[in-house]
Amino acid sequence: MAAHFLLGPQRPIVNIDLAFNALGDGGPAAVVSAGWQDAEGDIKEVQEIAARPLIDLHLYQRAEDVLASEAGLQELYRERQNRLQELQRLYRLRLRQSMLAARRLLRVDGDPAVVQHEQRHAIAQQRALDRHHLQRIAAIHKEFDTRVANERLPKLREHAKEIAHVFAGCQSVVITGGNVAVLLNRLRLFDVGSIIKTKHIVAWSAGAMALTDRVVLFHDNTPQGRRDAEVFEQGLGIVNDIVLLPDAKHRLDVSDKIHVALFCRRFAPTNCFTLNSGSLLRFDDGRVIGAEDVRRLSRSGALRKVRAQ
Amino acid sequence: MNPALRKLVRKGPPSAGDVDRFVADAVFPLVDGTDVTFVYRGGADEVYLRCWIAGLNMAQPLQHLAGSDLWAVTMELPEQSRIEYKFEVVRGGKRELVLDPLNPVLAHDPFGANSVCQGYRYVRPDWTEHDDETRQGSIEIVEVESKTFRERRAVQVYMPARFRENRRYPLLVVHDGQDYLRYAALKTVLDNLIHRLEIPQIIVAMTDSPDRLKEYAGNDAHAAFLASDLLPLMADRFPLVDASRARGIMGASFGGVASLHAAWRHPDLFGRLLLQSGSFAFSDFGAHQRGPVFDPVVRFMNEFRENPGQPGEKIYMSCGVYESLIYENRTLVPRLQAQGVNVKFEEARDAHNWENWRDRLRNGLSWLFPGPVWMVYE
Repeated sequence: MAAHFLLGPQRPIVNIDLAFNALGDGGPAAVVSAGWQDAEGDIKEVQEIAARPLIDLHLYQRAEDVLASEAGLQELYRERQNRLQELQRLYRLRLRQSMLAARRLLRVDGDPAVVQHEQRHAIAQQRALDRHHLQRIAAIHKEFDTRVANERLPKLREHAKEIAHVFAGCQSVVITGGNVAVLLNRLRLFDVGSIIKTKHIVAWSAGAMALTDRVVLFHDNTPQGRRDAEVFEQGLGIVNDIVLLPDAKHRLDVSDKIHVALFCRRFAPTNCFTLNSGSLLRFDDGRVIGAEDVRRLSRSGALRKVRAQ
Repeated sequence: MNPALRKLVRKGPPSAGDVDRFVADAVFPLVDGTDVTFVYRGGADEVYLRCWIAGLNMAQPLQHLAGSDLWAVTMELPEQSRIEYKFEVVRGGKRELVLDPLNPVLAHDPFGANSVCQGYRYVRPDWTEHDDETRQGSIEIVEVESKTFRERRAVQVYMPARFRENRRYPLLVVHDGQDYLRYAALKTVLDNLIHRLEIPQIIVAMTDSPDRLKEYAGNDAHAAFLASDLLPLMADRFPLVDASRARGIMGASFGGVASLHAAWRHPDLFGRLLLQSGSFAFSDFGAHQRGPVFDPVVRFMNEFRENPGQPGEKIYMSCGVYESLIYENRTLVPRLQAQGVNVKFEEARDAHNWENWRDRLRNGLSWLFPGPVWMVYE
């Protein structure tokens, strides 16, 4: 039975040791630190805590090597990325209006029989847009995968074989935080999801987001002001029916109850969980069996403590 | 009159003990919404509030509160304002400028220090202060052998935490680097904004001039120094992205003029400009009124206004509404926009000082060099 530990940022509170201790086996673990991009493989601090051999897979560097060697793949990859970016831009245009309407409606006072119906409808429209966007993303990935399957890609196969070899010797996998887009692209390129779903996983922040089935970008405190949370990608789908919000303490404006309520209702029945530094969420076979300092966004706009099921 | 002060004197002249207690308990100046009361305690013939607010009488007299050694004046200060001031105390015909003895909040600049009035709802931004969680960048001194000036000049180069030789970084050139470091907390700000992913990891070359009023006043030799001496050296010594969009230049006051001038003289060099309270004096006709030091600035600005070209792709400008340069800065914005430059202009309820410039750095830098904060979850 695979245990999945989802953690918040490892600064200032480090708690990957709790996850490693719970795993207990002491065997080697494969590390994916591709989200760190150029700093990939800089896992000295993790190594000191893990108390077990760690083998970084260098997925970021491997992807650079593959894309530099396989011209056909590089072209398909670039085309896909351009299409995804364009799609995201179009989605953002619609999202802004849709969210503006939903936010305003949730702040309206009036006859509940009238207002609540309109609020529900506005949120349903938002959910429909998010759903549509995710379907379009899936379609683009599917087309890419089909086209790539027809290519002869010796460099990709070579790296994939090496990666599989490392995984074969590891019962557990560590996925660091970092750039979630970069991380997901690398995980997907080497089809890591299908290999690791049966393994124990310790993942934090972007790494944890990548394990879910829906990655939502959010930040209410950017220097240029609040941005509407965006459905960004399909994750690996190893942990399902949750939206993870790493570092919510700094990124989510919890003082705005209507904002939090809208966030919750937009993704319901999927639970939106905060993962701050020090948070730990343990899933075994899809069930929450441990939760430390994890909060769930509620329909009232309050944050509720998450307890093990 | 401020309510606390009114309470103190409502039953007639307060005793020395009453004043002692009042002074010990209150925070000065007294901020009551948008009414701010400046209080001076001491023997004097006259006391004036000296604050550098364009359009306001430079010397506001304080009223002596009869039967006490207190002096006070109340002025309206819009919320989120921040102003710097001193008291001018007149005793026996002698005038002396002093810091507010009752106010411990000071702002420093190359000329000394001023007392600071933090108006209603002004809060010093947290990203301007040291954060224990933030990884610290480092500063090293680089000597530039300048062919232009025929001398060696020291440049302080900021390198971000986790700097790596194998990656490439954008470059920002800063005028009056030493002053930005000392008085605008530039290193702390860079460390914090990088740590918070609001700007990318960046290399910053902080330059200084031995004669800034000459070299920063639209001076071709200074622009040549940046283009021909500094930038080649920086590219040689540091791993930089070789593109104008990844090259910025910034400065305040005359440093703003020097930045705009260098970008105008070398239009493909700097794609990003951050201009704070630029001394962009010009004259539509006749002579200007700002004194001879501005002569070369006015010559440059007049020429620039005639033929602005495209001095950058994105320009962030800021200016305090309490400084006389607000007019020149506002005037420049449409001129730049007409050239197709993407301009962001912000006004602050502050004046011509380093803390005004410090407080605008986050908005300016993160707009010119957006960081990966949206995508990165560490």
